[in-house]
Amino acid sequence: MSMKIAPNQSIRIKKTKADRIFDIVNMIIWVIILFIILYPLWLIIIASVSDPDAVVQGEVLIYPVDFSVMGYEAVFEHKELWNSYLNSIIYTVGGTALSLIVTMCAAYALTRNFAGKKIFNFIFVFTMFFNGGLIPTFLLMRDLGLYNTRFLMVAINCVSVWNLMVARTYLKINLPNELYEAAVLDGSSHFRFFLSIVLPLSGTIIAVLTVYYGVERWNDYFTALVYIRDRAKLPLQTILREVLATLQTSTSTDAFFSAYATDTAGMTEAIRKAQVAKYCCIVISTAPAVVLYIFMQNYFVKGVMIGSLKG
Amino acid sequence: MPAAGYRPNLRRRIINDWQIYVLLLPAVIYFFVYTYLPMYGLQIVFKDYKFVKGILGSEWVGFKHFEDFFNAYYFWRLIKNTFLLNFLNLIIAFPIPIVMAILLNQFEHKGYKKFTQTAIYIPHFISTTVMVGILYLFLSPENGIINYFIEKLGGKAVHFMILSQWFRPLYIATEIWQHAGWNTILFIAALAGVSPEIYEAATIDGATKRQKIWHIDIAHIMPIAIMLLILNSGRLMFSNVDKTLLMQTSGNISTSDILGLYVYKVGLAGSPPQPSYAAAIGLFTNVINFVMILSVNFVSKKLSDTSLF
Repeated sequence: MSMKIAPNQSIRIKKTKADRIFDIVNMIIWVIILFIILYPLWLIIIASVSDPDAVVQGEVLIYPVDFSVMGYEAVFEHKELWNSYLNSIIYTVGGTALSLIVTMCAAYALTRNFAGKKIFNFIFVFTMFFNGGLIPTFLLMRDLGLYNTRFLMVAINCVSVWNLMVARTYLKINLPNELYEAAVLDGSSHFRFFLSIVLPLSGTIIAVLTVYYGVERWNDYFTALVYIRDRAKLPLQTILREVLATLQTSTSTDAFFSAYATDTAGMTEAIRKAQVAKYCCIVISTAPAVVLYIFMQNYFVKGVMIGSLKG
Repeated sequence: MPAAGYRPNLRRRIINDWQIYVLLLPAVIYFFVYTYLPMYGLQIVFKDYKFVKGILGSEWVGFKHFEDFFNAYYFWRLIKNTFLLNFLNLIIAFPIPIVMAILLNQFEHKGYKKFTQTAIYIPHFISTTVMVGILYLFLSPENGIINYFIEKLGGKAVHFMILSQWFRPLYIATEIWQHAGWNTILFIAALAGVSPEIYEAATIDGATKRQKIWHIDIAHIMPIAIMLLILNSGRLMFSNVDKTLLMQTSGNISTSDILGLYVYKVGLAGSPPQPSYAAAIGLFTNVINFVMILSVNFVSKKLSDTSLF
């Protein structure tokens, strides 16, 4: 008996040893991955609340140096930036609301059996694979008088076929046909069934779509680059492109942030502030999307899973 | 005569379900205006479109724009850049989420696992503008943190954003940084579907964690991974205009110029803009992508019954 246990025990110890080494290696790998992902984000946050000179001299590496909020002051004082922030909120809220309504209505319709369902399905799915392209679409929008309008910024990219299919799959799974048949027996129309039964049961999918559509719109800069001419109508990301993502970053950013300076001293100070204001711009533009994600993350993951069930 | 009996039946069905069509209407209008109507405007690829003359009034020029494009010195450069960027990105970035999902699956502490998952999804929500902005900030030759360390270690500052050989590495690295974590979701879901009994049986048989990963996890992930790989290869000629436009500088143009970006530059941002020529390049690209997706879909249908449509 004891002869039998001994080798077993030795195997078990050996086994846990191999597994323990695995766990340690795995932990080291994850510490490295998390560092690569989180350190740049941390660096941006601490740079945004540090003294500009310390940032430029590379002193800000682990924690804020000479804590100051002058970058945020420069950002808050900048009227054009705030105007674009407001525009982004309008486009995001209006556009997401519109997207939700149109997508949910169509998604519900596609779960029912009706004449021509295949044709409608084809009309939607085909757009994933072929379209007129950028130039003909641009010419059409211009001919329709939608160029340089806020309406276009809200209405464009209204439905994503992918999201439509995700919503349809969700409704198919969560609303058994018997529910509909029972409602029809009670004399319910499609409208009433949709409004009083489908929508109240769709909290999860509406949350998923809200974050998908919302983040997409908040982060979009290209649409405005193509379709908007008036600077007063530009959304935040398009303004940020000028401030952050151009090669002449320092000079153009300096010009941007010293736009309201009245004298030389004010100008010098504005240019100094611009060094950290860039980091502040990143923080205030990214925070809404990331915060929304962290609050809704469980829904989000669900959305990807539903999508993977096949659109 | 089944047709005669079918007709009134169909009409009655349509009338009965009129509310369904009303619910579909907004989406149909949207796609009609935004996707189908512009296809009418595609005729300008055979015309010399002038803004003042409009689509109908402009003169026909036949295949001139296509010939010009095929004979242009940048034709093969655009094709090569578009393909290489996507191809390198696919083969380098594709395995990373799989490895991450498998390693994450080995976490025994629920809290750590949850924290790690939350953290690795965050970069996915950063906008392209901010992502490229971070590149310009961190890689700046004057006061970027990367060059700060290079100089501290005795090297010379590298002008990352204007050197053509750095464009693809930077593009792919930021793609991985932003999306590898997010792309683990599908694989984590696949691993969650493995029944615990299989692991228990393997443990009783004396399998180590490494053996369990090799024989259980990878075997379960493989089918999904192969499907995804096939479907993604249908997008090898797609253009990420948003990102390449932001990353392109006069220095790296020889590697960063890709088809979709070129369409935008020639058709809308150029002076003077050449809408017909750009639309022709756009149509050419669209047709290539369409054919590639159809073939990929055909292959995946043959292999496993999974398809996009």
